[in-house]
Amino acid sequence: MTIQFKSITELRMLLDQKSISTSELTQESLKLVKKYKELNCFVTMNEDVSSKKASVIDQNKKTGSMLSGIPLAQKDLFCTEGLRTTCSSKILSNFIPPYTATAVEKLEDAGSITIGKTNMDEFAMGSSNETSYFGNVHNPWKKGYVPGGSSGGSAAAVAAGIVPAATGTDTGGSIRQPAAHCGITGLKPTYGRISRWGMIAFASSLDQAGPLARTAEDCAILLNTMSGHDLKDTTSLDVTVPDFLENLNNPIKGLKIGIIKEFNLSNLESKVQSCFQDSKNLYEKLGAEFVEISLPNISASVPTYYSIAPAECSSNLSRFDGVRFGHRAENTEDLNDLYIKSRSEGFGDEVKRRILIGTYALSAGYYDAYYKKAQQVRRLIKNDFDHAFKSVDLLMTPTSPNTAFAFGSKGTQNPVELYLEDLFTISSNLAGLPAISIPHGQVNSLPVGLQLIGNFLREDQLLNAANIFQENSDFHLAKPTMEDFS
Amino acid sequence: MDQETVRTICYLARLEIDTNKSEKIQKDLETIIELIGGLQSINTDNVDPLYSPLEKTALKHEDIEKSDNKKGKFLKNAATSNEDYFLVPRVVE
Repeated sequence: MTIQFKSITELRMLLDQKSISTSELTQESLKLVKKYKELNCFVTMNEDVSSKKASVIDQNKKTGSMLSGIPLAQKDLFCTEGLRTTCSSKILSNFIPPYTATAVEKLEDAGSITIGKTNMDEFAMGSSNETSYFGNVHNPWKKGYVPGGSSGGSAAAVAAGIVPAATGTDTGGSIRQPAAHCGITGLKPTYGRISRWGMIAFASSLDQAGPLARTAEDCAILLNTMSGHDLKDTTSLDVTVPDFLENLNNPIKGLKIGIIKEFNLSNLESKVQSCFQDSKNLYEKLGAEFVEISLPNISASVPTYYSIAPAECSSNLSRFDGVRFGHRAENTEDLNDLYIKSRSEGFGDEVKRRILIGTYALSAGYYDAYYKKAQQVRRLIKNDFDHAFKSVDLLMTPTSPNTAFAFGSKGTQNPVELYLEDLFTISSNLAGLPAISIPHGQVNSLPVGLQLIGNFLREDQLLNAANIFQENSDFHLAKPTMEDFS
Repeated sequence: MDQETVRTICYLARLEIDTNKSEKIQKDLETIIELIGGLQSINTDNVDPLYSPLEKTALKHEDIEKSDNKKGKFLKNAATSNEDYFLVPRVVE
């Protein structure tokens, strides 16, 4: 029996009906990793531990949770005790964490099986997965094309049907953009909804963990488990977590969806525009109402982000100095030389570029002009969202201005070209809002994503709207042929 | 931005850039600074910075001692250590 491309709910049924055992399911998933090795979506496998855990679950006759026995992949940015965690960087290429990230721990406590750690842009800095020390990840829909980033390995593993779902993190679109490019569903929850403890920090006020899966329903299953207050993360919200599965089939008649005036969609490729219009029509048919709404400062999101995120990155990445963990340069003259050589050998070009920008923005004489100014504009952007959500329930945009592109075709001459990939996704990170990307068509046989942005802590509304869309369309059921990778 | 500024920032960040990449880095940084410099045209008079989307002070909890000693695991990740400390090149002669 093939388990490829099956969702969590489908696999749950097969397990419950005893059509397949947990061990068989785990082995099938591991076999698919080997079969599609060329995708390069995994950095480290967890074969022995996975097999043992699957066997224990098979021997335990008790009914487990929805996730019991379900194989998952974890982005290689979540610390996993005893299992190498690299952030796809040379500087952490030998790092074995002494503890497990809360989000992963919760998934594993619910019985899921971590089969491996997925490739990503180095330290989550990138929109194409081309900055990984471990090489590019291919898009399962087209060899030689990017899967998006930074959670590119997770998105590719789900899109290729190797695992039904995976974890990702989203600092400026790093769950939603790869989900869009790979034709799957990806949710960035509200900032604080899921603990960041054990996530290797890139930009602490923007980073948020979330699920990538085949359907909104599966995202709800993962979110139910991953969410919740954690004393170990002081930015984790101490709020009640609703049952996101219970709220998936509410009628959307009268749901007010805003189209952001400042995003001039007429600049997009005509077929991407058509997908957007078709989805709008479908939502209208299902009873939603659309209004155009102005967020006057949203166009400043990209420059705001590229001041704040590098500043936080330069501070967070100062911990990588070759002393306590990670790569240490040899033949160094003194302690300072050890820091400089270890960091220079350990980090890739994009990470260095962002550390340097952040260092510049935070340095004496420039702090007010760049960092503080960006945080002031950030408040204006958040105020715009607060104002918008007084009159609409959700906002709708394309997830990305483009479909997936060929390796090396963007950002090599001008890094800003690649930064603009995140045009539609960045603002919800700045404001801490939840947002989801769902597949809503294809252009030249490559998937296109639709983004819905929700109000603070309203993942229930997002998931409901996404699920209703998927109940009434079949874009999420499309599968890549995988012919190029067999 | 000039090469001297690039060298200063590199030192502050404890990074070394290959000589053959130095001009490209300078150009890239100039492009990015130009992008974020665009924010100057936005009026932010009397606008408080928003450093975190939560705007709440960090939640506090009781400081309870836990006996979870993972010293060995932590030290094992270091390139050089003895049984108690991380080892680095001599700092004081």
